[in-house]
Amino acid sequence: MTKRLIGIVSALAVLLAACGGSGTGGASNAPAASAAAASKPDIKVGVAISLTGVGNAYGPAQKNGVQLAADRINAAGGANGAKIQLIIEDDQSTTDGGITAFKKLVQQDRVAAILGPTLSGTAVAADPVAQSAQTPVIAISNTGDGIVGKCSYGPCDYVFRVSLGESAAIPETVKTVKAKLNLKTVVLMYAQDDKFSSDGFAIFKKALEGAGITIKKEIAYSKNDVDLSGPVTQAVAESPDAIVNSSLAGPAIKVLQEVAKRKPGLPVIGGNGFNTPALAASAGAAAEGAISGTAWFIDNPSTENKDFVAAYKAKYSADPDQFAAQAYAGLYVLLDALKRTPNPNSVLHDKLKAQIELTTGVKTPLGEVSFNKDHDVTQKVYVVQIKGGKFTPIN
Amino acid sequence: MDELNDLFFAYSTTIGVLGINGLLALSVWLTLYCGQLTLGNAAFMGIAAYSSALLTMRADVPFPLALLIGALLAGLVALPLGATVFRLRGVYLAIATLAFGEVIRVVILAIPATGKGQGLVGIPPTTELWHIYLSLAVVTYLLARVRLSTIGRAWSAIREDEVAAASQGIAVRRYKLLAFVLGALIAGLAGGLSAHFNFALQPDEFGFARAVQILVFAVVGGVPNVLGPLLGALLFTVLPEILRSLQEYRDIFQGAVLVLVIVYLPRGLVTLFQLRRTRRLQRVGAADVA
Amino acid sequence: MLEQIYNAVFVGSIYALFALGFTLVFSVLDILNLAHPAIFTVGAFTALFVMQAGVPAPLALVIAAVVCGLLGVLLDRVAFAPLRRRGAPPLSAMISSIGVALILTRLIQLRYGPDLQAYPAGSVPSGVLDVGSLQLDGLRLVIIVVALALMVGLTFLVRRTPLGRQLRALAEDPRAARLLGVDVERAIAATFFISAGLGGVAGVLYGFATNSPYSQMGLPFELKAFTVMVVGGMGSIPGALVGAYLLSFGETASLAFLPSELRDAFAFGLLFIVLLVRPNGLLGQKSPDRV
Repeated sequence: MTKRLIGIVSALAVLLAACGGSGTGGASNAPAASAAAASKPDIKVGVAISLTGVGNAYGPAQKNGVQLAADRINAAGGANGAKIQLIIEDDQSTTDGGITAFKKLVQQDRVAAILGPTLSGTAVAADPVAQSAQTPVIAISNTGDGIVGKCSYGPCDYVFRVSLGESAAIPETVKTVKAKLNLKTVVLMYAQDDKFSSDGFAIFKKALEGAGITIKKEIAYSKNDVDLSGPVTQAVAESPDAIVNSSLAGPAIKVLQEVAKRKPGLPVIGGNGFNTPALAASAGAAAEGAISGTAWFIDNPSTENKDFVAAYKAKYSADPDQFAAQAYAGLYVLLDALKRTPNPNSVLHDKLKAQIELTTGVKTPLGEVSFNKDHDVTQKVYVVQIKGGKFTPIN
Repeated sequence: MDELNDLFFAYSTTIGVLGINGLLALSVWLTLYCGQLTLGNAAFMGIAAYSSALLTMRADVPFPLALLIGALLAGLVALPLGATVFRLRGVYLAIATLAFGEVIRVVILAIPATGKGQGLVGIPPTTELWHIYLSLAVVTYLLARVRLSTIGRAWSAIREDEVAAASQGIAVRRYKLLAFVLGALIAGLAGGLSAHFNFALQPDEFGFARAVQILVFAVVGGVPNVLGPLLGALLFTVLPEILRSLQEYRDIFQGAVLVLVIVYLPRGLVTLFQLRRTRRLQRVGAADVA
Repeated sequence: MLEQIYNAVFVGSIYALFALGFTLVFSVLDILNLAHPAIFTVGAFTALFVMQAGVPAPLALVIAAVVCGLLGVLLDRVAFAPLRRRGAPPLSAMISSIGVALILTRLIQLRYGPDLQAYPAGSVPSGVLDVGSLQLDGLRLVIIVVALALMVGLTFLVRRTPLGRQLRALAEDPRAARLLGVDVERAIAATFFISAGLGGVAGVLYGFATNSPYSQMGLPFELKAFTVMVVGGMGSIPGALVGAYLLSFGETASLAFLPSELRDAFAFGLLFIVLLVRPNGLLGQKSPDRV
């Protein structure tokens, strides 16, 4: 029995090795194809996103966005004649999955740079892999702290971020609502058992206190709470000028529904969790007036955005969302740096990294994007309010 | 050779996770072998993970000592828990341990030192693969030996028929508690190793989903001997990687594999090579794990 | 205050509907069906599917109930019956149900994506009730009424009908039941049909109430169901009702004296204590496995 057991286990190990060795995920190495082309070899760009797991609400949109960008870039001649080849891996929304995806891209595919991973929780684990391999990473959806600039795992000068951090968006939101609504007091509600909401809560608290707004009460609830009428009743009982809610869309919808029942017209302010069409779709009239700060909104009349939205609709028969927009922008920002890098396919990526650092005023659907000295994005923060079911800027 | 090296590097995380899952599977196997169905080991893992991480991060405690203290803490918590629930059996025990696990999770979320909902980041990544596999080898060896010893036989007797075992003079309560606490210690060890393998910890990782996952490793792998849980951990850790190319359909295949294995291999994966013996047992009606 | 009671009744009703199906399967077959949350979700999405095709909400509810009921029977055929034939212990069935849950959830995600969905605008009945100075949500009242009606119906079924007698016999002793002429397989199929049907209805109603069905919507209820089942009494249907409302009222009340972070600890602490002190639960009929 033991002998057979060993036999099966070794067979499994060999099977694993064989499967791992062959290509996985999206397109893998294809040197033959580019050698045939008379022009330069393809530039390999890794994309590690959540196609499975809890983050798979966002991964497919990111895949669409980055794919659209790659297609358009290549149709327009690529980066100084070299085509961009995307290698898409699933980070599985877990730290292990993210680390494995990054390792494959860095070690096996030897990409020039990586876009991703989807979730901030995955990023803090996976980014160090790219950092030690000196491969630039451009975060396209991480909005938490500690992703760029001052990273908890040590130096992270190879990590950049094109997705507007909550620590930039929220203070701007608070500033705007304080002026527009003459806010003096709020109740701060938040989902205490998920990282995004907890981070957002901390940032809101700091921003509100910094703006001299009194937080009458802090109310924590669970993201799994089936009904939020209790917490909202408590909140409304404090008679604040507004309710601030830090959570993902699901609980946010519930909060809006409950507020509308008890105190219609009471302003509700949120973070990035509000920035989804699902809010207006599910909460309907209750969502009217909800305010949040966002990096992108679909009706932004800028040329780049209208062009992007039209192209996305044409290709995918669906509206793009923020994740698609940021992924699209991320590749264009990378393209800008690639164009300025003499030998983007070299084994060492320090020159590419240096060029990414110099990113200034790249026109994207998000607006003009630059990186500051912390490698974080500087762009206009749009503070939007839902009017007639659509996000409308109020700043 | 280079390709093999690259392959190894790319998969080193999976290999590490595999080892940790193996330890976790063994921790549950232990209690199953004694006839106890526990869903609390994810919580024990969490207790040890957080405490060992906090020790290395804030108190500069050396890694091996932090691991030890973490595991001991988990075992310490398991003691009163095991003592209070020993009378429960089957599903009731499972639910009681699950409820306990949930209480632990909520408490972790409420303590500021653990970072609450934000979790812990920046844990020193001191775990090497050899730490994990050395631990796994030692634990496996010890459990294999224990299984053949008096203690192991007592556990087996308790699993078969608790009342009969008690009437034979076996100190049922003590043996059950032993299995329970040992299981917690092993799960704690796995927790400490895991915390220092990834760079971050989140309370989400130690809840119901994790507890169920570990149970699946052990049951699907098989309870007859120590290799069962290891096989179960191997299959389910490696399966997502093998099925990587299936991407979106991966979960469906995983679910299907789970159902197929449990339906067709009643005594677990490890009995794949013992089908004849299983058939014999099936005829007598003694084919399944307690 | 009245409003809080009203909401607690609403939440308790959803808990009860969900837990009833769950408890039914457990009491008759000793199986913890962890695919129940997935069936709950299938219910909500089946309603979404037909409503997007123009079917009105009440009919969608019925369709979803039937579809889920049939799905429950299928679930048994595929994942539980083979185990039963071998005399496998309930643990194997629980593991099997985990696999099925994974598949069902993923299928929903593949069709609809994992994001929140919404029922077609205006298709979900809505309205406001004026009770004194309060404005109560009309939809929730409808849900409460439907849930109560179903609970009464189920109790009647189990207590007064031949099928109910068969189910009770089956729960008591499957072998004896067979000897006494109960068509065991048919009774089991009926059990799953009812259980899954109830779960599906719970899903639709909850989906309507929040207007945001999504693929993982059943998960928060899974753990609550354990509490309801245990507190009310394993294997007791009236017990499940009592447990459900006890839980929902307890959760609401605990807001007053527990810091909100620890609210969940209330439910599980309660569960734990009940298991230790009175494992039968409040109205339980099954004697627990005690040594």
